[in-house]
Amino acid sequence: MVENAVSNALASILRSGRADFNARFAAARRIHSDLDPGAFADFLRTAVDELARAVEKVRPDRLGEVTMAAYEAALELIGQKLAGPGARLASIEEGWRRILPKAASLVAAAPGRLIPAVCNAVHQIASTHGARPAQWIATMEKLGPECGDAEAFLKLGQVVAWRAGLAHLRSGAIATADALPEPLALAAVGAKTGTSWASVREQLLANSWFDPASGSSVARVVAQAGSFKGFGGLFIEPPIVASSGEHFLVQSDRECWLLTADIFGATFHRASVKEFAAKVPPGLLLKGSRVAFNGQSFELPTIGELTSAAANETTLALTSPLTHSITLVALR
Amino acid sequence: MGLLNVFQRISQSPTNPHPTAAPRTFDVADLYRGPVSTQGDTPDAGAPPLDEKLRQAYFWIVNTAIISPHYDIEYNDGPPQSFVLGDSKSRLTLPSGQSYSSFVLLPILTFATRRKCLFIGGPGRGKTASAILMGVLGGYSVREVRRAMQHGHPQMTIADLLGNPLPADLVNAQRIEDIRISWRQWLGMRVKIIDEYNRIPTRTQSALLTVMGDNYAEILNHIYECPDSAWFLTANDDQGGGTYQVIEALRDRIDVVVQALAFNPRFLADLLTRIEENIRPDEVVPRQIVFTESEVDRMQEEIRAVAVSNEVRRRLEFFASQFEFCEVAGDQFEYKTKDTARLAGVEWHLLTVQETGRDRLKDIGCQTKNGLSVRVLMTLLIYSKALAYFRGNQIVVLDDVRQILPFVLHDKLSPDSEAPFFDAPGNGVFRADRIGWLRKVFDLSCADYDRLNLDREDPVAELAKEFQRGLDGLSESETRSRLVKIERLIAEWTKGRKLYGHIYDDVLKLKYLHQRYTNYLRWLKTQ
Repeated sequence: MVENAVSNALASILRSGRADFNARFAAARRIHSDLDPGAFADFLRTAVDELARAVEKVRPDRLGEVTMAAYEAALELIGQKLAGPGARLASIEEGWRRILPKAASLVAAAPGRLIPAVCNAVHQIASTHGARPAQWIATMEKLGPECGDAEAFLKLGQVVAWRAGLAHLRSGAIATADALPEPLALAAVGAKTGTSWASVREQLLANSWFDPASGSSVARVVAQAGSFKGFGGLFIEPPIVASSGEHFLVQSDRECWLLTADIFGATFHRASVKEFAAKVPPGLLLKGSRVAFNGQSFELPTIGELTSAAANETTLALTSPLTHSITLVALR
Repeated sequence: MGLLNVFQRISQSPTNPHPTAAPRTFDVADLYRGPVSTQGDTPDAGAPPLDEKLRQAYFWIVNTAIISPHYDIEYNDGPPQSFVLGDSKSRLTLPSGQSYSSFVLLPILTFATRRKCLFIGGPGRGKTASAILMGVLGGYSVREVRRAMQHGHPQMTIADLLGNPLPADLVNAQRIEDIRISWRQWLGMRVKIIDEYNRIPTRTQSALLTVMGDNYAEILNHIYECPDSAWFLTANDDQGGGTYQVIEALRDRIDVVVQALAFNPRFLADLLTRIEENIRPDEVVPRQIVFTESEVDRMQEEIRAVAVSNEVRRRLEFFASQFEFCEVAGDQFEYKTKDTARLAGVEWHLLTVQETGRDRLKDIGCQTKNGLSVRVLMTLLIYSKALAYFRGNQIVVLDDVRQILPFVLHDKLSPDSEAPFFDAPGNGVFRADRIGWLRKVFDLSCADYDRLNLDREDPVAELAKEFQRGLDGLSESETRSRLVKIERLIAEWTKGRKLYGHIYDDVLKLKYLHQRYTNYLRWLKTQ
């Protein structure tokens, strides 16, 4: 039935391996009892078929492998309700349909890696509070086809994911971008034209708040990280912060997180309460809603009296009893 | 082929999530890990740490291979829920932390530490199947494991077990060194399985003992050095009955005893699926949970590196010191032990009938007929570390010791079923429930330890710590002062204090310290 509604290329592959494909569907249904045959067939007809048509144009010899990899991935996505009607995260299917067909020649070379990679990346970005899956999809759709091989595509995806809000990937992404062709590395971080990767890289490493798009960095309030649990955030009560190397520790109620933040976003990671030790950094003075640190001074009337402060070389983190967010101030 | 994937799914990491120190580095490769599996284009470069792999192996076995829905090794993150059922007030606990099935966990720990595990239980309960799975985890094929498995039977000879001299060499050789031996292949394996070991005749048991105890086999003066291995033995009757009595030395080489618990018929559907699909779990072990030899070597090192805190160690010392002491067994202080009486062949009841003034109900030592050997204590420490490692911890907690102790001491500590403890209300059940009894004894010992406030008031520990700082540069007057301290402490204890096991060991420790200082003083006088 599915074969009649898809392209001839895909229909031929499905027909020739019917017994195997059906067995895989049956096995997947044992694991995912909610696997809906109708939803799966729809996904085959749309997302998988679009990819198959694109691959057939550039690498018809690899259509079989691509179909198999796409079929397996589709089973897992539909079975876990990550794609199809009622999907928990609509962006995964969107990522599949926008990115993969446009990068068909790369997908054909390594379908078992790239198809799951794109799905998992979108899943991870969409599941990270504050990250921007739409940005990742749009950037990869545009830049993905420019990659020379699957490895470059995956590296590009890691850099773009950092740019899309996974701030904790900062140092790894910068190192990964070193391995990309210069134009691609610059495009991945959104750098202005006419700049060099070496110079952008140096500034990125020196300052978490350096914006490659504008090339600027000046002391300013740059972000409000975190929110009240009732609004989808993490914190039951207004948190307090402490320094932890280049990152920050945040404690609210009896829970603790590591906060990583930079120009591209802020992410939280579970930590042990035992690590948290609130100490005001030397050279930092709090008075009411005013804070002075290392010769710079900020007035933050909107957040009221400050309850805690922490600092590293580039960032000041401040909390108050009036908000469940952490105010981040770029020091450079 | 499709159903194979069902049986080869392994649990996603982390398998034992708990708050840990915040990570300081993040791997960009994590971006591509998620709900959709990568499909074999290239091998996964991000192999999990070995303790995580061990947990994945455990969960695969317990979820897919062996249907063992028993969580008899219980851990709690907070207060557990507990219910009392039936007229005999049977207590059911719903643990609040990740808990485990001993029937799967103990073999896994044995595999990781290359020790020896005995499976006991009625026929058809999965003892041999579990042992085979351990062989497959060790990287051997099912066929290799089955063919290398030694099956005990009354006609088993040493040659059957170890190998034969080559017939041509037997005829032609002029010297014994010229005879070549065709050794049995199983001797070189890293996972060794002996099925129904209690059906091996006594003479052959002795040969097995040499392999198990000393890791070599000998035939006609030729030695085969066996590699370190994990051993899995099965027996239908844990009393060592069956066809032959198991020699005590062989029984003593076994490190843990695990019982195959009864199958729960509510899981019959799983058995039915296996029959209908003709799937044998030992043939579909996922390759991601198979360990190489070097991985097991590394795992052993990591397990050894797991720390045991002083507090846990002291409680274990206190527990172990309860059992050996027998005041009436000897005149010389050092010979006042149950072992002395046993070696002399004294009847047990003749010892117990003699009054020593101690409270025979409260005295934990009165519950057993023997004490703990060095070998047993070392095994207990190793398995405690292995359990902590399995749970992803770098330090052994008291619960780890409490959970593993009954399985290590199962055959090692013999209860005296005539002891008053077992006649007390509610304790009769411990005559049959060895595991429950051993846990109870440990709990009682820890309660005693807390009552005596030994974490804060332990004069022997203070003196020992002082000694451990060394004797270099210690003056004669300081040495004499320390000798006096020891003598005063002992004198204090002579005032109306009953002699219990832990005091006996403390006194012997004081005697040791006294003797060391005395020898040092003698040496000082010659300088």
